[in-house]
Amino acid sequence: MAFQMLTKCRIFKNILNTKCPINIRSNCFHISTVHCDLMEFFDNKKNWAVEQVKVGRSWKKDELRIKSNEDLHKLWFVLLKERNMLLTMEHECKAQFELFPNPERIDKVDESMQNLETVVRERNKAYYDLEVGECGERPGKLVTNLLGVNFFYRKFEHLIPKFLNSNWKKRHTHNVVNGNIEKFQKLYREKLHNTKRKSNNRDRNHVMHLMKRFPNLDMDAVKQQYPTVDIEKIKNYHKVRGHYVP
Amino acid sequence: MRLTNCLRDFKKVGELTKKYANLPDKYIERSMEKVMWKTPQNNPRFLPRVVKKKKFIFTEDRPWTLAFDSKNSLSSIESKVFLEPIKDWSFFKGDRVEILVGPDKGKQGIVGQVIQERNWVIVNGLNCKLEEVSHYKGNVAMVQSRERPLLVTSEVALVDPSDLQGCKVEWRFTEAGEKVRVSSRTGKLIPIPSLAKETFDYKTPNTYKESEKDTKTMDVQEITFLPLLKTFEMEIMDAMGITEDRVQAPTHWY
Repeated sequence: MAFQMLTKCRIFKNILNTKCPINIRSNCFHISTVHCDLMEFFDNKKNWAVEQVKVGRSWKKDELRIKSNEDLHKLWFVLLKERNMLLTMEHECKAQFELFPNPERIDKVDESMQNLETVVRERNKAYYDLEVGECGERPGKLVTNLLGVNFFYRKFEHLIPKFLNSNWKKRHTHNVVNGNIEKFQKLYREKLHNTKRKSNNRDRNHVMHLMKRFPNLDMDAVKQQYPTVDIEKIKNYHKVRGHYVP
Repeated sequence: MRLTNCLRDFKKVGELTKKYANLPDKYIERSMEKVMWKTPQNNPRFLPRVVKKKKFIFTEDRPWTLAFDSKNSLSSIESKVFLEPIKDWSFFKGDRVEILVGPDKGKQGIVGQVIQERNWVIVNGLNCKLEEVSHYKGNVAMVQSRERPLLVTSEVALVDPSDLQGCKVEWRFTEAGEKVRVSSRTGKLIPIPSLAKETFDYKTPNTYKESEKDTKTMDVQEITFLPLLKTFEMEIMDAMGITEDRVQAPTHWY
């Protein structure tokens, strides 16, 4: 089973087995049974100055989806502690001129945390869609700024309504018709066009060189990789002719 | 446009390379990254802009190693490598191949390493070249033979298991809808070897030895989710015995 190589939380099993009394709040918040003070920011002593620390992969979304909210909440703090520990160890290794073993562990924890957050958001979104009729995410909308460029504006929560908030209105000028940006828009569009044109030219030139070098080129693969290049057109170009008998 | 440009280099790292290394994509991207110039941070006079090295030369050194790093230093400029585009990659670790060029022409061997970034394979013990490995002053240099990479497109051919001769390969579908490798000459199936599933950390997923830091399989597979009509926060508050009586003042989103 691919499940065998798993991550990160050496104490996850302990957590699942512990049963905390429900009404004592402070007891519930503990995520681990170990208390080593500041030394919890450092790895186990036997992992110091070793060449490699072997660990498995990160948590996948599908594995997190079958866990209860409580488990996810605990796992989050396990991962957070692990990440703090890894970053501390990395910093300390740098200070001691040592090599930090398996730096990809940081990315694995990060990925797990991202996946966990996605799963929690999914669950919350399902609740809000069902109960409130809108997803509980931060709202936003597509607006145009003073330069006529569209962007997605993510809204903020305010205590006073919009018409009273003159300070906000001064700083945010969305969707205002501005007659003075024609020249800018023209140049901006030209810039975008030029980048596109140059990249197409570069691709075409590259394909011509490929055709020159490789007599048995797989044209389907070329078409797939460089979709903008018109191969029928460039086939008879002088640049395409190679040093071989066609 | 800018986004696609930075993604392009990362995409150059072959899928098989990533699979064998068993490393997260983010780590490979991070270790390959070479920043030439960056605007000062937290300075209102500058927009956040980063200029990165775009052109990398891929060799036998893997992208996350120190050797790759030193070869691709910021000042180094290497000549362009032209790579023949390939539609379906059909050479895997553990495949038996026939060599079509060089001193070992006609010999058959097993693929030991696949370097997809350059369309290369390295065949175990074949196509070797003598190399001096130590250059200490006053010492006699040690000489060692090392396998040189071979181009997949023209220098090696897969061996057909039915007649043990080199052949061209096609990808076809079986009646069950499975994509398989088939010899064009005889139409016989060329199975993908089990070595192809090997990664840096384990030979097969079954034989992976759990380390101390790993979560046990049983704990991962256990289903604890119970669907309730609650948000994440509501359920955690209930479990902890937190009650919220305060009523939030009306707010405005804009």
